Amino acid sequence: MTALLEIDGLYSGYAGVAMVRDLNLTVHAGEIVALLGPNGAGKTTTLLTTSGLNPVMKGDIRVFGRSVRGRPAHRAPREGLAHVLEDRSLFYQLTVAENLRLAAARSKGDLARALSYFPALEPLLGRRAGLLSGGEQQMLAMARALTSKPRLLMVDEMSLGLAPVIVERLLPVLRRIVDDTGAGVLLVEQHVHLALEVADRAAVLVHGDLVASGTTAEIAGRAAALESTYFGAGAEVEAGADVGADAEAGAEAEADARTGDPEADPEDNPEGSR
Amino acid sequence: MTRPRTPAARLRTAVPALVVVALLAVILAKGDYRANFFSGGGFALGALIAAIALGVVVTYRGSGVVNLAGAAVAMYAAYVYADLRAHGDLFLPPLPNPLAPIEGLVHLAGDDGFSVPHWPTSVSFGAAMGFWPALVLALVFCALFGLVLHVAVFRPLRHAPVLAKVVASVGVLLFLQAVVVRRFSTTTQVVGPLPFVDKTQVDLGLFKITQEQLFVVCLVLVLAVALWALFQRSRFGLAVRAAAENEKGATVLGFSADRLAAATWVLSTVVTGLLGIFVASVNSSVDPNTMPALIVPAVTAALVGGFTSFGWTTLAAFGLGMQVSLVTFLGANESWFPKAGGLPVPGVDLLVPLVVIVAVLALRGQSLPTRGVLGPGRLPFSPTARPWALRYGGPGLAVVALIPGVFFLSPAMRDGLTNTLTGIVICLSIVVLTGFIGQISLAQTSFAGLSAYTVASLSTHHGWPFPLPILAGAAVAVVAGVLVALPALRVRGVHLAIATLAFAVAVDKVVFANSWINGGFDGATVTTPALIRSQDTATHHILGVTIGDGTQPNPLTLVFCLVVVVALGYLVANLRRSLTGRQMLAIRSNERAAAAAGVNVAAVKVLAFGVSAFIAGVGGAVIAYRTGNVTPDKFLYDKSLMFFAFAYLGGIASVSGAVTGGLLVGGGLGFTVLNRVFGLPDEFVLLLGGLGLVVTAVLNPEGVAGKARTDLLALQRRFRPPTLADPPTLADPPTPADPPTPADVATPTTGPVASTEPTASTEPTASTEPATTVPPAASVPPAASTPVAAATPAASGSPAGSRVSGSAGAAPAVAGEAR
Ligand SMILES: Nc1ncnc2c1ncn2[C@@H]1O[C@H](COP(=O)(O)OP(=O)(O)OP(=O)(O)O)[C@@H](O)[C@H]1O
Ligand SMILES: [Mg+2]
Repeated sequence: MTALLEIDGLYSGYAGVAMVRDLNLTVHAGEIVALLGPNGAGKTTTLLTTSGLNPVMKGDIRVFGRSVRGRPAHRAPREGLAHVLEDRSLFYQLTVAENLRLAAARSKGDLARALSYFPALEPLLGRRAGLLSGGEQQMLAMARALTSKPRLLMVDEMSLGLAPVIVERLLPVLRRIVDDTGAGVLLVEQHVHLALEVADRAAVLVHGDLVASGTTAEIAGRAAALESTYFGAGAEVEAGADVGADAEAGAEAEADARTGDPEADPEDNPEGSR
Repeated sequence: MTRPRTPAARLRTAVPALVVVALLAVILAKGDYRANFFSGGGFALGALIAAIALGVVVTYRGSGVVNLAGAAVAMYAAYVYADLRAHGDLFLPPLPNPLAPIEGLVHLAGDDGFSVPHWPTSVSFGAAMGFWPALVLALVFCALFGLVLHVAVFRPLRHAPVLAKVVASVGVLLFLQAVVVRRFSTTTQVVGPLPFVDKTQVDLGLFKITQEQLFVVCLVLVLAVALWALFQRSRFGLAVRAAAENEKGATVLGFSADRLAAATWVLSTVVTGLLGIFVASVNSSVDPNTMPALIVPAVTAALVGGFTSFGWTTLAAFGLGMQVSLVTFLGANESWFPKAGGLPVPGVDLLVPLVVIVAVLALRGQSLPTRGVLGPGRLPFSPTARPWALRYGGPGLAVVALIPGVFFLSPAMRDGLTNTLTGIVICLSIVVLTGFIGQISLAQTSFAGLSAYTVASLSTHHGWPFPLPILAGAAVAVVAGVLVALPALRVRGVHLAIATLAFAVAVDKVVFANSWINGGFDGATVTTPALIRSQDTATHHILGVTIGDGTQPNPLTLVFCLVVVVALGYLVANLRRSLTGRQMLAIRSNERAAAAAGVNVAAVKVLAFGVSAFIAGVGGAVIAYRTGNVTPDKFLYDKSLMFFAFAYLGGIASVSGAVTGGLLVGGGLGFTVLNRVFGLPDEFVLLLGGLGLVVTAVLNPEGVAGKARTDLLALQRRFRPPTLADPPTLADPPTPADPPTPADVATPTTGPVASTEPTASTEPTASTEPATTVPPAASVPPAASTPVAAATPAASGSPAGSRVSGSAGAAPAVAGEAR
């Protein structure tokens, strides 16, 4: 088994403050690794740093054996890294088809297969991505990543904005893709149980520290303890007030997910900003 | 995928198409119309406009910048080429020698013999150059220049607000123009002919055209097709479009957004420069003013093409170029053509782009931005004036300016201070419009000029006594401002900037260059009361104090300007504190959210335009009285650009920013000090101004005053969103001390009363009118509080307010482009 991604004693964060500390993580070909943790734990930060979109403060990350330090961020994707960003980063002014075509541009992509996982996108191919609903946009983001036939796929919150039934269908699809192509997947997911069902291994981040890692069976046994950290009750949690705020934000995100509207932020909603 | 189109949508395309077809039919039917429309000169002009427009579209698609300096690049390339051909010199921008301070220091230390190496101002290639080497070298220069623009200016600004980009491109425009003026003066430069084509006529049946004109037309058409193929058919084009919109997204797909943007900058400067060179050769001359002004028809054409379609852009550009000679012909020969004082109204050809812009925007624009449309980008934080600032700021400023201004400053400094004061007024008008409600207007000096000419006419020809013409002038400005506001109800961001720029250019010609209005060569005289007449040298003795030193300018002119500045400063500060001000900020932050919260977006926008034009109008009137003679040069479009830029640099969202801007404006106190104390010549001042503009825009995209404030506020952690538990102080609550504001009065025209007698009506009096104050947001019943509630997060600059623009956060993907 070759290691596609090796994270070695990583420190990363913003404005000189490490939001992720001493993280060690490996993803091999053909396995799904779930990265779990409460809101604000540093999952997105880890993924962004891996993609070279955020600088490494200390330690190292190797993607396909090459360090990301000092490497332009657009190089690794050409070698088969795909990243579904938390904000999706779709090209709103381009059509769905063009969004997908771009992903196929750098490698010999596989548009048809990607679409077969998301048949709902087929009738929307000619529409501008900015006009899609939140869930449709998430499907497009996933399809775009799959189109590039990645060797290593990183997904930040696949379930964001998707209807629960779609999520339940998609996670097994992820499994199938991995089995089919031998790719490795690093999955950030809030639906802990679903993620643990599909993943081979899991790692749990709380406030930037790796508090648990192992096979899904091992982690699942501690699921209850894990979930309690989501509400700031965990033993590892020091700054209680901050977590309270995070939990609130999480509840809001859940509400957004339910309505399926990505734009339902407080500003759109006068009551929300009372 | 085609969808059934609504009748309204069909009408939107059918009506303009019918109008264009009808016009073409008339032109084709009448022989002399046809001959003048399809003239060789018209084609050549159209080709140049098309090339500039193509360059604008390419850079827009590549980096989301509407490059207002695009046309100046064509002019600059033509100058580079002409100088290479004539003298074999590649001239460099005459920047000040960075080693000069060393020399100065050594001289100070007593060693007068020391001198640093000369700073090169040109690279000589020997004698005059042939066509091809000169062309290649000039194009290489263009390519490098495009690269420099990308690396030094627009790459650092890629996450900056749209405003910063507009300002930077204005800075580039001013810089290029200043370099050429400094180097070659404003006279036209002769450019040699192209070697491979000549002036023999080619008969194309419908019309005749010279060989060289035919050549440039064909060249542009070929370029347009090539660009179309590149962008629509190639992977490069798709990637450019993607990366321009979302850099992060393109990066994770393996594209280097940076290189793509650089490529488009090089592409656009080369295309623009190439045609600039060729058309200058066809016309045999180039000058620093004609070509840069072509940016207006060029952006108009780009707008017709939606900043994406190369085909429509090219067609529109040719149309806009060719109508010029037809309109000139009509003016000379047709009795129905509008006349002023017996002569045809000048500049009607410039009204055509304006009409096209308004039509396009009216048909395409939306009264509220729709989903999937990127917002206008983050704007600098707009602080409310603290009560102490209101109470002491105005009088403090007045005293600081008044005492030295009246008693100590030299005449030149007095002049500079007066320029600063009038500059502050124009900047204040921009603060209201751009800083508070987020609308870009590049026509503020047009409003001022309209007012100034009204004042001249009323005071001289109709005998109106002193303060009255100010009100009338401001009223005229308000009417113009509200007219401009009407299209602004449907467009925003850069598109509005373009529309107002076209308005300014049209007003320049139609009104300010109209000898029926501008008083001809001598300008329009303003009858000014002796007390404040600038030329008046009498001294006054008041309470034992002597005012005036027997030299011009009259210190009381300065006092007059100061009174107006303080009054308008209070007006703007109080407007910001009022409910209307909060609603403006809410609109600035998110029009849809503001509308959802019950703010009447259209009404508030019109009001903002009215207030802004009113302030600019008062400014124009003051300038008129101050100079005693209105000449167009003070109000031309480039002055609007300059004021906008300086207002932005000063800090566009606050009164203190306007004051800073006033200190920076050309001819103002800052420049006078540079000029008098450091001996910098005038053109250098302009050149450094343009350069400084670019540098400052790059370093502080939020403006000088804004930067200082954000630094401070970051320390105070004021940007936390207000939560229920938070004390209301976080959210900038309206305090009971909020004074009644002139803006709350039903119509803006009642404002002048306040502004001429500031102390009487705008003095903040604590508690006199509790009825007009707004209770703190947290304590009001929900029904009454909706507008306030929506305005509050926006006013406090919370993340909730800025997140709406789609991509704020830590790494905003695109700093927004309004559609
Ligand atoms: N651009 C930024 N600047 C400063 N701090 C940031 C920035 N982005 C994130 N943070 C902080 O870094 C921490 C980790 O954030 P991150 O987005 O990685 O969390 P996450 O685990 O992805 O959370 P979620 O489940 O809510 O997506 C948080 O405390 C967050 O506030
Ligand atoms: Mg995250």
